[in-house]
Amino acid sequence: MMSLVLRKELLELRRSPVLLLSMASLPATVVAVPVALLAWLVRVAPEQALLFAQDIYGLRAADPALGVAMVLARNWLPMFLVLPIFLPILLAAQSIGGERERRTLEPLLATPVRTLSIILGKSLAALVPALGITWIAAALFCAGIDVVVGKPLLPDAAWLFGTLLLAPLLALFGNATAVVVSARVLDPRAAQNLAATTVLPLLGLLVVQLAGRIALGPRFYFALAAGVAVADVALIFVAVKLFDRERLLTRQ
Amino acid sequence: MFGLLGPNGAGKTTTLRMLAGLYAPDAGSATVAGETIAPGRAGSGRLRARVGLLTESPGFYDRLTARENLAYFGGLYGARPQKADELLERFGLREHAARPFAELSRGMKQKLAIARALVHEPAVVFLDEPTVGLDPEATREVRSVVADLARERRTIVLCTHHLEEVERLCARAAFVAGRLVAVHEMRVSELLRVDLAAPFAPLVSRGPEGRHAIDGALRGLCRSVRAEGSSLFIEPIAEVPDIVAALVQAGARIAAVTPHKDPLEDAWLSLLAEARAE
Repeated sequence: MMSLVLRKELLELRRSPVLLLSMASLPATVVAVPVALLAWLVRVAPEQALLFAQDIYGLRAADPALGVAMVLARNWLPMFLVLPIFLPILLAAQSIGGERERRTLEPLLATPVRTLSIILGKSLAALVPALGITWIAAALFCAGIDVVVGKPLLPDAAWLFGTLLLAPLLALFGNATAVVVSARVLDPRAAQNLAATTVLPLLGLLVVQLAGRIALGPRFYFALAAGVAVADVALIFVAVKLFDRERLLTRQ
Repeated sequence: MFGLLGPNGAGKTTTLRMLAGLYAPDAGSATVAGETIAPGRAGSGRLRARVGLLTESPGFYDRLTARENLAYFGGLYGARPQKADELLERFGLREHAARPFAELSRGMKQKLAIARALVHEPAVVFLDEPTVGLDPEATREVRSVVADLARERRTIVLCTHHLEEVERLCARAAFVAGRLVAVHEMRVSELLRVDLAAPFAPLVSRGPEGRHAIDGALRGLCRSVRAEGSSLFIEPIAEVPDIVAALVQAGARIAAVTPHKDPLEDAWLSLLAEARAE
């Protein structure tokens, strides 16, 4: 049953070019802007610009281009942790409210399919494309940086940990949050906006780090992974509990 | 086929949803297809697997084709994979099976929704307003599909505002107005209606002699005779031609003879008035 729901959701997504485009636009920007900026700093900008960037982050590297690239790689990693939270929200926030808006919820709930199958099917349908897009974007970013600096700088251990372990956990977190919100706030747009606020703490950390105030290290990422894993289990449990068939159909 | 009638807000759809396992009743219980529905608990997945529900709106996915939509719901019900194609063929939708649902006409959409209610061969089918919002052509198509189902002697509960649908298709109908007001048996009070032409009218409507003449002519041929204007409502015992011959012999000019059912509309309005008065 779960695989049926998943297959149907993916089929619908494949036939929604606008939604796919909107999902791809943010990752494209996240990759293109920093790589283009680094390329400009290294290849085109006057030397003072590179030295200015070194001064901001207190770098004393023999190769200024490599030093700035390393800082950029470290500082930009949280952005690739925001993506797997944000992208599934675009889909998952529509999961229940969208079905209700299109009046497909009642026929779906009238079938003998179990609540857990509906939630897991819809969640996987949001996670798979979100993670796929995140991983493609991360691969393009790493390749872009390597090409600009002319050395195989990325992916390093932090990037591998972040994209391969943290990203799926965060994607699950974003999705489960969206499903929980969607089960209570039935307007899909309101659910999307509300669920999207979960990226704000990570975005805040990104901004502070970009300003050179903090440097997030391995301890932070390990703690984040553990915390998010616990939150994921709790959120899935809450999502199943909140999925009340009668309430979903009757609530205005 | 059982009809469920009631004004807007009477609780018809809520009743169907309870019986189809979507809502939990606050009080009371019901048994549907051998599954019990108890207070405070919506029907189980087993109940939902044994009933088919035609919802108020078709409720399909616009970007999926007719076949994909039906196969998806069939899969969720655990139906045979070939069943979707069989139903598309049966309802004349095979040519449109590869078209996205959004491109189908209203009548086709509704027929597809009826097919979904049957895809798992349920023991009981609930049809919620199958013709509401349809144009006359689509209404005719859908009514013919429902009539076919009635002829197959399936167990169907039909929820509708159209009294003529209930009169034509149902064996019994329940009137709901916040509660179950009455259950009306169809076709138990069938009468023979004889429309009389003008020369006979004074005979029946004016003066006791006329009525005496009719009673005399029909003695032994009818169980009861009731006169209304220039019409006679007769509960026949003898064959219709014998009754007509007896009336003609008594001097009647007969304009028409039709079978007449106790009008459901009258029953419906009086029950509604009673329910509102309480």
